[in-house]
Amino acid sequence: MLRITGLSRSYTGRFAAENINIEIPRGSFVGVIGRSGAGKSTLLRMINRLVDPTAGTIEFDGLNVTTLTGAGLRGWRMRCAMIFQQFNLVGRVDVLTNVLMGRLGHMPAWRAMLKIWSREDRLIALAALDQMGIANLAAQRADQLSGGQQQRVAICRALVQEPDIILADEPIASLDPRNTKLVMDQLLRINRELGITVICNLHSLDLARTYCDRLIGMAQGRVVFNDVPAGLTEDIARELYGLEAGEVMAAQHAETVTA
Amino acid sequence: MLEAGMLEATYASAVSARRMRSIQGAAVLIIAIGLACWAAEVRPLTLISKIGNFTSYIDRMFQLESGARVWTDPAEWFWGLWKWLGLLRDTLLMAYVGTLAGAFIGFLFCFAASSNLMKSKWVCQGFKRLLEFNRTVPELVFALLFVYAFGLGPVPGVIAIAIHTIGAMGKLFAEVVENIDMKPVEGIAASGGTWVQQIRFAVLPQVQTNFISYTLLRFEVNVRAAAVIGFVGAGGIGDELLTSIRRFYYSDVSAIIVMLILTVMVIDYCTEKLRHRLLGGEVHA
Amino acid sequence: MSASLPTSSRRDAMLADAAGLAERHAALLGPAWRSELTGWIVAAALFALFCFGLWQLGFTFTMLTHGGSQMLVILQVMLPPNPETWARVVFYLGQLAETLGIAFLGTLIAAIIAFPLGFLAARNVVSNLFIHVIARRVFDTVRAIDVLIWALLWINVVGLGPFAGVLAIACSDIGSFAKLFSEAIEASDRKAVEGVLSSGGTWTQAVRYGVLPQVLPVITSQVLYYFESNTRSATIIGIVGAGGIGLSLSEMIRTVEWQQVSFIVVLMLITVSAIDYVSTLLRRSIIGPSSI
Repeated sequence: MLRITGLSRSYTGRFAAENINIEIPRGSFVGVIGRSGAGKSTLLRMINRLVDPTAGTIEFDGLNVTTLTGAGLRGWRMRCAMIFQQFNLVGRVDVLTNVLMGRLGHMPAWRAMLKIWSREDRLIALAALDQMGIANLAAQRADQLSGGQQQRVAICRALVQEPDIILADEPIASLDPRNTKLVMDQLLRINRELGITVICNLHSLDLARTYCDRLIGMAQGRVVFNDVPAGLTEDIARELYGLEAGEVMAAQHAETVTA
Repeated sequence: MLEAGMLEATYASAVSARRMRSIQGAAVLIIAIGLACWAAEVRPLTLISKIGNFTSYIDRMFQLESGARVWTDPAEWFWGLWKWLGLLRDTLLMAYVGTLAGAFIGFLFCFAASSNLMKSKWVCQGFKRLLEFNRTVPELVFALLFVYAFGLGPVPGVIAIAIHTIGAMGKLFAEVVENIDMKPVEGIAASGGTWVQQIRFAVLPQVQTNFISYTLLRFEVNVRAAAVIGFVGAGGIGDELLTSIRRFYYSDVSAIIVMLILTVMVIDYCTEKLRHRLLGGEVHA
Repeated sequence: MSASLPTSSRRDAMLADAAGLAERHAALLGPAWRSELTGWIVAAALFALFCFGLWQLGFTFTMLTHGGSQMLVILQVMLPPNPETWARVVFYLGQLAETLGIAFLGTLIAAIIAFPLGFLAARNVVSNLFIHVIARRVFDTVRAIDVLIWALLWINVVGLGPFAGVLAIACSDIGSFAKLFSEAIEASDRKAVEGVLSSGGTWTQAVRYGVLPQVLPVITSQVLYYFESNTRSATIIGIVGAGGIGLSLSEMIRTVEWQQVSFIVVLMLITVSAIDYVSTLLRRSIIGPSSI
């Protein structure tokens, strides 16, 4: 259970996130929706502690995440893997090594420094790649892959961390419709088969409705909606997206259909 | 007609404004030259009266004791070939050891001096200032001090070169690091990597070609530096050259300078080839 | 919503096909050090040469510790920097002025001499390949001789003092300038030259109105940059007797007046930083911030 209470983040007087209170049970697939700049990204980054909250607490199974530092913090980051809009892979390094980055916390520091990966670590990384259907690309440089392939590599990196949670920050925003479906399907598979909690920032309402079993709507740094997808009415959508609402829903509907 | 007149007037005033600025610039330049000539005790008359010395000096450099031209008897010209080759080898080794040690320490320091990786502003600025100090003090000044502390010989020379190299390399390296893409760093941080692991796996792959290329360039510079650091007694061929110049062993001077020029050219050529291969490999890989 | 699996069974699920994977990707699962082998060999060779260098150059542990402690003692005596009398301060400032004068004149003379040479070595101005290649070789040769060697040679000709320094800096930079200038000229846009030629201009006029306006800012910026680095050179040529503050520095070290030494070093640092700052500003105003 991930419990977030009174979580806020302010930048010189302006709130990027304000007084967020949510509880996310293990094994759920949560979509965080809202306009860009609504604070979705800040929320996910705070959970991974890439951004430090200015107030409030994050708690996971009784562990207070907000006060962690050093090795404790790194341990937490291993347990809550992150996937980014821009993939954040190391472009000049091969795919397998990129995936092995997710194992850094599981091996002695000297082995990591000398890049001596154990056979088991490499097997785990290959297994992850194999499940994503890109094991044949393992020896290629990451920056020679297409966006969709890179994002699948990033998912593998998250997966080999053996995390409890995967945070996905707009994972499909840079992808075409076909790869969008591929990546979302994989996230769903991970969630269903391995029982890993997935918290996913999405711009598109239709995708959120299709994949998530719960939606959190954010506007101006606040949580304005927190319910099952069926509870999201036209009115709430309009509140979330303002004038964009009709456009967002229609456009993305068309997108999913063609996909 | 009226319009043409106005245009002409605008053009003329624009031109005269520019001319005015040029005249002001020229005036400043002339005053600066005058001041500089006065400060540097420039004596054109001395130069003219003594320019004969220069040509005769060059002439003497290519004459053997016997009065014959040096190239008529290469064995006599390069009578000290083996001694000089030994000194040249030492000079190259000094440059090599100094470059490697300096580049390694500069490499260790540069991450702490990069504002995007070092979150503590104080530490970052502290390292930046330290590198700047090392870079700004010329190696010959360090060499003078170290010769006093360590005694005559190549050791103070190497240390002087290394310390100057730490500053020069550290600053360049830090500039490269500050221009990297931070997304991979974030990616590794988010999966629980330590600061060192972030550098090892997200920063290094982005900067290593540049680092090696800069180090090779620095080696070229340091070969030149090591050749003259012997002037203050800090080892290498410089000491021998200084003695030859001071004692007017003309043909030795030219022999050593020819060897130095050849060495520098060979080193420049090799490092350039290496750097091209390195950068070329980067493009193809 | 599925129930959460324990971690161990998650891994089992992922590694269900471990044997098959190992078979398909045997190349990737070989001994871990093999892919890095060349890197290790190169590193080992570099390190071996480094150790050989240390040995050959006479590095010993006792020497380092002894010299190091000696250096610490000197550092303690050096601080704080103290010129003792105002007369000395004035004297040093005079030498600093001399240093700047040497750097300035040396750079200027080199630039003036190198300017026509640059055109000579530029492929698009003088199309004779032979001249081009020979000129480049000569520049490289001149460039290979360090400013301190030039200083020693000129001292023999015009005697000790700053004038020898000016000539030394001028000589050592002619080669670099000529090379840089010719590259700048080669990089200039041909269209302007064609414009002047097509409207009936002579070859000289084409260079004057077509090439010069394009290369002048670049050249000025390079000259300023060299002035910056020549300020550094000018501070040290005094050590061999060619004028400037270096003379006092080596004098004070010889007479072990350490507080004077540190004062001079501080003066040098301030001057060099100030010149750096001013020249960067000037260069930025000439060619814009992007190319610096």
